Amino acid sequence: MAVDLHGIAERLFVGVMAPLVLGGPLQPGHAIGARASLALGPEQDRRPANDRAPADPNLADRVERARIARIRLLAPVDRADPPSAAEWALSAALHDLLQAANPMFDAPLRRSSAARILALAAAAIDAVPAPASVRDALSRHSWFARVLEVARTDTTVSWWLGSRTFLGEDPPARLRAWPELRRVRVNATRRTLLELSPLAFDAEPFADAVARFLSQTPLTDVATCTRSTPAFAWADSALALVATRAGRTLALRALARLPTAEVHSALGRAVRELFVHRRASVSGPALAILAERAIAEARGHLSAATEGAATSTRPDATFARALGALVATEQLRSQPGWLERDRRGLLSSLDPLVRSEAAREGLALLQTHLTSRGGTVRA
Amino acid sequence: MLERIALHQTRLHTPGLGLDAKGVALGAKGLVLLPSIDRLVALLAVYTRERSLEDLMPSLAMNVVQSRLGTREITLQFAAESSDRMDRVAETARLVGGFTLTGTSRHFVQYRDAGAPFGYDATQLLATDAAIALYHERFSQTYELERSIDLRRLLLRLMPQEDPSAGAEPGVRLVVAEQGLGPALVHYLVRSHVDGEVCVAEWAPESAFDDAPVRRWIFRLPEVPVRMRPLLQTTPGITSFVPAGPGVAVETGYRHPVELRACPVFDTAGLVLVRGRGGEPWEIAKLPPMGSLTAFARVELRAKGADAAVARSVAQPEMVRVPLRVTPSTRPWRNVTATWIDNEQVPLLRRLAYALPQPTLAGARLAITTRGVFLRLAAGIEAIPLGTFFVEVHPNLYLPAGHEVLPAVAPEVLARALGAPPSKVLFVGSDANAVAVDESAFVPLETSLLAAPSWEVTTTAEVDAALAETPIDLRVTSIGLLPLRGVEPPPTTEEP
Repeated sequence: MAVDLHGIAERLFVGVMAPLVLGGPLQPGHAIGARASLALGPEQDRRPANDRAPADPNLADRVERARIARIRLLAPVDRADPPSAAEWALSAALHDLLQAANPMFDAPLRRSSAARILALAAAAIDAVPAPASVRDALSRHSWFARVLEVARTDTTVSWWLGSRTFLGEDPPARLRAWPELRRVRVNATRRTLLELSPLAFDAEPFADAVARFLSQTPLTDVATCTRSTPAFAWADSALALVATRAGRTLALRALARLPTAEVHSALGRAVRELFVHRRASVSGPALAILAERAIAEARGHLSAATEGAATSTRPDATFARALGALVATEQLRSQPGWLERDRRGLLSSLDPLVRSEAAREGLALLQTHLTSRGGTVRA
Repeated sequence: MLERIALHQTRLHTPGLGLDAKGVALGAKGLVLLPSIDRLVALLAVYTRERSLEDLMPSLAMNVVQSRLGTREITLQFAAESSDRMDRVAETARLVGGFTLTGTSRHFVQYRDAGAPFGYDATQLLATDAAIALYHERFSQTYELERSIDLRRLLLRLMPQEDPSAGAEPGVRLVVAEQGLGPALVHYLVRSHVDGEVCVAEWAPESAFDDAPVRRWIFRLPEVPVRMRPLLQTTPGITSFVPAGPGVAVETGYRHPVELRACPVFDTAGLVLVRGRGGEPWEIAKLPPMGSLTAFARVELRAKGADAAVARSVAQPEMVRVPLRVTPSTRPWRNVTATWIDNEQVPLLRRLAYALPQPTLAGARLAITTRGVFLRLAAGIEAIPLGTFFVEVHPNLYLPAGHEVLPAVAPEVLARALGAPPSKVLFVGSDANAVAVDESAFVPLETSLLAAPSWEVTTTAEVDAALAETPIDLRVTSIGLLPLRGVEPPPTTEEP
């Protein structure tokens, strides 16, 4: 039976992609499956890209304007490209992720279906190639920047004879009628994506699928590093993004919009994990991020004064700041192009961090890493 | 027959005659020989004008004596006691034409005079059995006692003399009213608020034709109004008396020849009323007990109705209250510290705020109510010439300037009557209606001026709307009967 990709794309755009950008009710429908997800892209369909244009041009315009607004928070871009094949695939995979979290699957003979959909969605995510360029990453970010803001409203209606809970549905008006006479109480609770319950499967594979999804949109991954679940970790795609000057700039701008202390804490934990998991060889871009944030903090571009007290109680944040100051000091000493006055000023500002206990820990980790590669670090 | 007693003479011929310490011949008694009864009265009148008869009364004896020639004369005997008393009596007797003698039993010799300072002594005594033998330089005479004269009867037989001035002075009055006039006089006096006492006395029938005693009302009035005196003196059947001594009174407008107050012959328990115009005195042996005039006032009994209206307690006694009025006053304005600005004048207040000095803005406190804006400024509200000025007459109680309340109660009373709690500020308008403003509603004027709350809220809402993002709400839809229909794994690399 031939699959109506156009219809799926239309349903996907209206039900998931547009609400993901504009906000409002996000309504995943029948599961799409990995094969169809990967086939939604125009290249795979071998039809012109504009064939995937939504039937509602106004909705498409609104989505494009919202995406541009999102992009302009990070970069001066005036045009947003139509969704690429990878973005269609990621959107479809996200659609299936959300559908797998449908509470209706939490019933006998249905739980396996949810697990199956989740597994295929994860497979589809894995099948999507990493962004090939910073522009590609920025485009994906414009679609999925708010993916962690997806939340379901669970409403509990209680009255004098009983109560009912509606998961992601509006309670019928009849249950809310005569509120004073029937003593009706309505309690609405918003549950974010990783707080959804009940699930037809374990929460861990679902969180893992969400983490995989975030790794496919590295700028979003970095821009949401302060999230609690799934905890931020330097994925290869994110490291690849910040390895470039433009990608690192976008990442720094995205991080600048987040609470400084929490960013320090998230980045410090992620970098420490790189060293612990012996991935220090790829930690250069992460260290570069920390160094640039240290310099920005020393120059007053970050609100270090107000965040200092908060970071002092977070070992990961202190570690990130000390490690960043250590790398920044090395860069200031080795790289030309700095005015001598600025260089001395920055070095003196960074000196307390460099002499801190956390800096010694970071220095030890770096020396261990460099020793293994035959290098050294000036103390 | 008489010889003058010389100085240092010690021997006297008259029995019972001796010499006192001054050498004056003096017997145990004194005797005054008076030619007639009127001279006796004159003697009593003159003597009592200066002194009382009280010291003479125990030994006083008045007699009508008859000489051997048949002439009747009056003798007045008394205890001599001393030459001083005898000197006083002798002088008085000399004034009224009497002779003063002294002796002990029946022989009386002439008392001393200017010609014989030590008195006289009778060298030859008359041999007689007469009651008294008198030895005078002009005569020697024996007398027999005819009858005695009772002083009290004598005084009562004396007719008072008309004296218009008698009774003119204020004081106690005794009023005697005939039986028929008594009750009317009682009511008259009661109506006139004249205090006094009254009793009813009885006299024996005046003639055999009267079968009933004569009853008269006797009033004792401590003070009689001047306007009543003619009425009490001229009304037939009513006689007014002026007390002339203990137990005796003389009719108003008459004066007794003898000073009755000096004659202690009237019983204080009784009463003797000496009448003028020849009327016999009314004598009451024992005065009946007197009652207050008010006790004799006319009483009237109700014809119908209950004996007594019994008061019953009610739930809440009706209080005497009058509505509060606020009226214009000419008193100077003081302590004008508040103003009541109508809602129509609030725009003017806003415009005026630009011209107000900083101290005024800082000190003024403002409360915005539905009835207008209330402004309070302790330093004086004149700096804000808007609205109706109010004067703080009591803490948190304001009255319109130039007005006062009626009844003119004290501000404390007014505040207590209004009964507002301390947290309320009361403004009593010129229509006497009070408006209470919560004390906490007053805020500094300078903080209220820059409010414009509606604008700020609207602007903020617009900014929020521009930046806010609609939350993404995941909705749950039906999974269908075949949720895995069409859900296929990704193509493998071998697939085309």
